[in-house]
Amino acid sequence: MSMTDWDIVTKSMKSRWFSTMLTVLTVAIAAGLMALLISMRSAGEDAFRRGTGNVQMLISKEPGPLASVLNSMFYAQAPGNPIAYSDYQQLASSYPFAWSVPTQLGDSFQGSPVMSTEASFFESFEPAMGQRWLLETGRLFDAPFEIVLGADAARTHGLAIDDSIELEHGAPGALGGHHHSEFAFTVVGILKPTGTAHDRALFTSLDSSWILHAHDRRELVFGHGIRTALDDVDDIDRNITGIYASLGNRQAALMQVLSSLRTDPNWTVANPASTVGGLFTIVSNIDQILLAMAIAVMLSSGISILVALYNSMDQRRRQIAVLRVLGASKLRVFNLVLTESAMIGLLGGFVGIVFALIAGQVVSGVLYARVGLVIEPSLPIDGYLMIVLATIALSCIAGIIPALIAYRTPVVRSLRPIG
Amino acid sequence: MIDQSNHPAVELSDLAYRYAIAGPIAVAVDRLIVESGEQIVITGASGGGKSTLLHLIAGLMEPSQGEIRVAGTSINSLRGSKRDRFRGQHIGMVFQTHQLLLGFSVLENVLAALMFSQIKKSQRKARALALLEELGINAPNARIDELSLGQQQRVAVARAIACSPTIVLADEPTSALDPSIAGTAMDLLQNACRSNNAALICVTHDHTLVDRFDQHHRLEDLAPDRAKAEGASACP
Repeated sequence: MSMTDWDIVTKSMKSRWFSTMLTVLTVAIAAGLMALLISMRSAGEDAFRRGTGNVQMLISKEPGPLASVLNSMFYAQAPGNPIAYSDYQQLASSYPFAWSVPTQLGDSFQGSPVMSTEASFFESFEPAMGQRWLLETGRLFDAPFEIVLGADAARTHGLAIDDSIELEHGAPGALGGHHHSEFAFTVVGILKPTGTAHDRALFTSLDSSWILHAHDRRELVFGHGIRTALDDVDDIDRNITGIYASLGNRQAALMQVLSSLRTDPNWTVANPASTVGGLFTIVSNIDQILLAMAIAVMLSSGISILVALYNSMDQRRRQIAVLRVLGASKLRVFNLVLTESAMIGLLGGFVGIVFALIAGQVVSGVLYARVGLVIEPSLPIDGYLMIVLATIALSCIAGIIPALIAYRTPVVRSLRPIG
Repeated sequence: MIDQSNHPAVELSDLAYRYAIAGPIAVAVDRLIVESGEQIVITGASGGGKSTLLHLIAGLMEPSQGEIRVAGTSINSLRGSKRDRFRGQHIGMVFQTHQLLLGFSVLENVLAALMFSQIKKSQRKARALALLEELGINAPNARIDELSLGQQQRVAVARAIACSPTIVLADEPTSALDPSIAGTAMDLLQNACRSNNAALICVTHDHTLVDRFDQHHRLEDLAPDRAKAEGASACP
């Protein structure tokens, strides 16, 4: 064993452990914040893009495309403006859709949204591009009052096949909502996770939803205690809230259909991918500010390295002078201080990445629990490496002034006995 | 490569040092030769330039004129890291206040000196431990601030001779010590230099140490004419 420059650096850091630890922590927070922001941003965008699946057009009567996409595809709120089913049929026959699926939102089960749709929803719509629906267990609904659960809905409510549940009319937390104890729904299937907001939804047939609506209407007329069946459903009950549609590979036709529908004031047409893209343009303005703040924190952490090392130089002047007497060159003591600074950057960067990974898991857990979005905040390994390297580079820059002080330490003057 | 064995340990010629370019001479030496293994003492008043002379020999200061040769090499003609490397390999220093590295262990203090020596890495720890044992330090892992002043002095001596130097420069080595242990400390320093074949230049204002050395010089006698002519000024 012999003494090395590395031993001197670690000794120096240990001798001022509290200051070193605080400086590392400051750098870690900055690096972690930056890693978290960058990873969350790309993961969030991925999650939103995944959630729109293969839908090229989302047609509704919502006030705008963004509200339409957020409400009908991400279950933010129940869409407020109903579409008559007959209008949907007319629309579907007027345009050359490769497929179209009507959806109806507005009911819920213990806070989870219930989507009423047709069986073709599971055949035509891919929740994520190229990813088809798969059943974990059971089958899809094929009769009224049969219900299929998204993976997260099943887990959250602890439901299994053949369980019986009752729905609430009205979206979660909506005013005027009420419990439908007259109609028991039977769980017939549980879907495999898709990593989209659809995982927290329950799916049933449009007929089921329309019977509930017909029942509400008829109760107003005939009072409580009446029975309502599919035959009692009238056109006025046959409403939907959105239409998922696609023209398949016909991109040229897509632009024509979009233009045509957009000129019709009765419809709101959203191209989900571009709407999500637009959303992220807005969000990116915000996260550019956050990124700027993270860079500012990073710079201030660089300054804190400078201050910590600069303040330590007074205490270390004698040590540096002794090392010079023992044979250390000016360049060597410069490098010792710079290495210490780089070490602070390396430790800070590494701890910051660990912070970012932990915080990412927490944020992702909260987002999954609240909105069912599977956001996996991770970067490729070289992304993390770049952040650590940037932290080390910044630390080295911050260490230059203290290292220059070490370089210029007047040996003889620094060795004079104090007092 | 100079064959150092045929050269004196230290050779000073026509040396003068001024704190300012046009200022008075602070240190002057017409000629001084210290042979290999020889031990000399230089006395002089406090602030008379004794420490400055040692710093000049160690290459820590630049002489205003003259030449300083250590083991045949003109140290003042070496520049930058070459001079630092030469100092680390050929010169050991003992200071009045020991100047040990706080926060480092006894062993690490000696190993720190060996970092810059020509001794092989694989042999450094063994040499450091052997030196410490020779000087009576049995707790190599103790921290410096846990040692008494006398023990610190021993560590300082071990560090000074660790690199097998040609010359050890001792600057008031006993002034911080209790008179009762000063003699022992000097024995230790002188014996360590002898056993490691290192020459010793000791500067002190303590005249009681004079009899221990082969040669004694008063600083003002090393360049009597120039000192008289310019009236050597006190070291700040």
